[in-house]
Amino acid sequence: MNNQPSGLVLTGVSKRFGATRALIDGDLRLRPGEIHTLLGENGSGKSTLVKIMGGVHRPDSGTVTLDGVPVTSRSPRAAMDLGIATVFQEVLTAGSQSVLENVWLGSHGTFRRRLGRAEQRSIAQDVLTRIAGAIPLDLPAGQLSLSERQALCIARALVRKPKVLILDESTASLDVSSRDRLFVEMRRLAAEGTAILFISHRMDEVAEISDRVTVLRSGRSVSTVERSDLSINRLIADMTGNSGHAETRRQPHDAGDTILQGAAVRLAPASAPIDFELRAGEVVGLAGLEGHGQDHFIKRLAGVAAGPGSVVRIRPEGAAELTERNGDALGVAYLPRERRGESLFESMSIRENFALPTLAKDRRGGLLDTRSIARRFDAFARTLSLRFGAAQDAISTLSGGNQQKVLLARWLATDPKVLLLNDPTRGVDIGTKREIYAILHRLSAEGMSVVVLSSEVDELVDLADRVLVFRDQSVFAEIPHSELSTESIVAAYFGQKSEVHT
Amino acid sequence: MNRVLPLFQRWPFAFAFLLALVLLVLNLIVSPSFLSPARLPGTLATLAPFVLVGFASTPSILAGGIDISVGPLATFINCLFVAILIPAGLGNWDLAAPIILAVAAGIGALNGILVAVLRLHPVVATTGMLFLLVGLSLTIAQNPVAAPNNWTEVFAGGIGVVPGALLTIGVAGLIWFALRRTAFVSNLLATGESDVSAYGSGVNIKAIRILAYTLGGLFAGIAGIALTAIVQSSQSSLASTYALLGLAAAVLGGTSLAGGRGGLLGALFGAVSIYLLQQLLTASGVAPSLIQFAYGAVLVVGVVLGATLLAPRLKRNAS
Repeated sequence: MNNQPSGLVLTGVSKRFGATRALIDGDLRLRPGEIHTLLGENGSGKSTLVKIMGGVHRPDSGTVTLDGVPVTSRSPRAAMDLGIATVFQEVLTAGSQSVLENVWLGSHGTFRRRLGRAEQRSIAQDVLTRIAGAIPLDLPAGQLSLSERQALCIARALVRKPKVLILDESTASLDVSSRDRLFVEMRRLAAEGTAILFISHRMDEVAEISDRVTVLRSGRSVSTVERSDLSINRLIADMTGNSGHAETRRQPHDAGDTILQGAAVRLAPASAPIDFELRAGEVVGLAGLEGHGQDHFIKRLAGVAAGPGSVVRIRPEGAAELTERNGDALGVAYLPRERRGESLFESMSIRENFALPTLAKDRRGGLLDTRSIARRFDAFARTLSLRFGAAQDAISTLSGGNQQKVLLARWLATDPKVLLLNDPTRGVDIGTKREIYAILHRLSAEGMSVVVLSSEVDELVDLADRVLVFRDQSVFAEIPHSELSTESIVAAYFGQKSEVHT
Repeated sequence: MNRVLPLFQRWPFAFAFLLALVLLVLNLIVSPSFLSPARLPGTLATLAPFVLVGFASTPSILAGGIDISVGPLATFINCLFVAILIPAGLGNWDLAAPIILAVAAGIGALNGILVAVLRLHPVVATTGMLFLLVGLSLTIAQNPVAAPNNWTEVFAGGIGVVPGALLTIGVAGLIWFALRRTAFVSNLLATGESDVSAYGSGVNIKAIRILAYTLGGLFAGIAGIALTAIVQSSQSSLASTYALLGLAAAVLGGTSLAGGRGGLLGALFGAVSIYLLQQLLTASGVAPSLIQFAYGAVLVVGVVLGATLLAPRLKRNAS
């Protein structure tokens, strides 16, 4: 063991969730006294790495040491006892408890209170003031603004005086003045020897505060850059890698008339309104880091979420506003993000899963004609090259990719003109992904309009005619086909309107 | 109304308190001697098991769960004491009281382990426990057995001028009051309100949940003593009566079934309301069959009020 504390060191850390390898080879050296930024796009393994450090997950393999001593935290509590305090991405408060209780939440033992009431109050007041300004300690936390609640979560970590402080997107919900105060506080703590891991999706923040930056891509640590070598272009290049995948790339082509139109759609009370037109035969990609509004937007287009602004389906026979009920009738089909829970009937058969919304087509004299169902299903099974045992098998016997194809068939059976896909290839193997891309290309060539939200940048580059990148609950950039690249999309994720290369 | 609503929201038990007050006045009108010093100890002794099963239901609900078995646990304790401990010569208070409380708390802890460690749904786990306890009670005391003179009689009468029922209720209240001065109740409320937040902040939510059910078991044990005090026999048949009364009292008293909001004071006023309603209906000659109906009606109204009008309107920005 060294005499000098070596900080938090992760070596070759991996973590698997079912079939998904969230982290394959995570390496990170977090030195005492530094502000170290962890950077990566969706699914790069950031959150998994943070949760391993914070004691939520345990790694499948690899080592974690703090000042040379192996760390095997089994819970956030155990991590905190070692001096690792994590402010998780979610704003975690107990709404009907007071601000004071929330600041000290988890610091106490099961029965034993840490510190006296008066001391608790003065420390909480002091720490909160340094980040968010004066917040009344006796107010229920639920009555605070989002920014104040985020500050409260940060204060909760700070009052523990941790050796290692992890801030996972903690600036996302902070207002600007609180963020500036947090930065001052971070620098002060680093000067006192605290190791700080910082995660943010704002490049300007990363450039301002980081001593070093480690980039994660597809579950691996790809580079660690010193402040002196920091350049935004380099970081974006590291995040995207240099994967060549132009061969499947969609060719630009002419789109038809507008068939779906969104006017002044607002995703949050204060966000900028979005005007959107979808034309016949067009494939539009929606992108953004998790939680920036793209998910809400596609739900608004589908009519399954309501809010300010209007979404109108334009047909030869006239325009009609979309609601939760009339999607089918207007030829708009929506494939939700969560297969389990939102789409699948897990205990039912493959064929039933396919046929449920369209059983009306199999009606013969008020009864169901099972042969008609079978005929329809077989036709789709062929065109989508679906692989299954028997159509009566439970849907759960299929792989994720084939389940997704069954669901795609379910909605294609409604004869839609507009197909809205919410992250359709999540948890789908690469071969089936390619097949789904080919199907979408074919459908759009036949005149169908597709909106596809994807958390995978490569996929959007392959699929889309243009991509809308969301930031802060609005459209930050619209990237036309000519400028479409992983770099331009990821740059927009992080708030850069890049002219990196066009 | 604009000024009254925030009051209700601030103090969840306010509705039950007002209801109890109104029912008390009605009772006094129907039967003016209702609160006379001669009747008071008896009245309070009959009230005590109601209040205590209400207390017993509260901690698990606050933790975000539910314990349906506290009522039958109280009657099981009654049967255990009368049909087993007394015949076995363990009936003296210095032996029986520790045994009773340990058994009751142990059964509560078992519920807690089923819920927090084995992750059974609390309704499933504690319904199972309910049938188990009802079955056990019937096995050890199928028919009512009269108890010989014993120490529990104190709680039906009184010590000097102090009604004995105040002791059983008081002990449970004191335990809660003492726990409020530790971090336990804060941890309990936070766990019930948002277990993710509590866990992420470092609260040992497993331990908190197990302790919540254990505490409920302990209170149910005290309820068993208070019950024995008034019936002075083993009464396995009462299990069904008390099974849901505790929950009714807690919920009527404003304790939120979503967890995290409420407390023992609510259960107290809730139980008093239910008891007073029963007294009122009996004294005014309403058919016993209608009494259950009236309970149900009051409970539904109380829960609806609690869920709609009186729930605090917190801004909940999902993030």
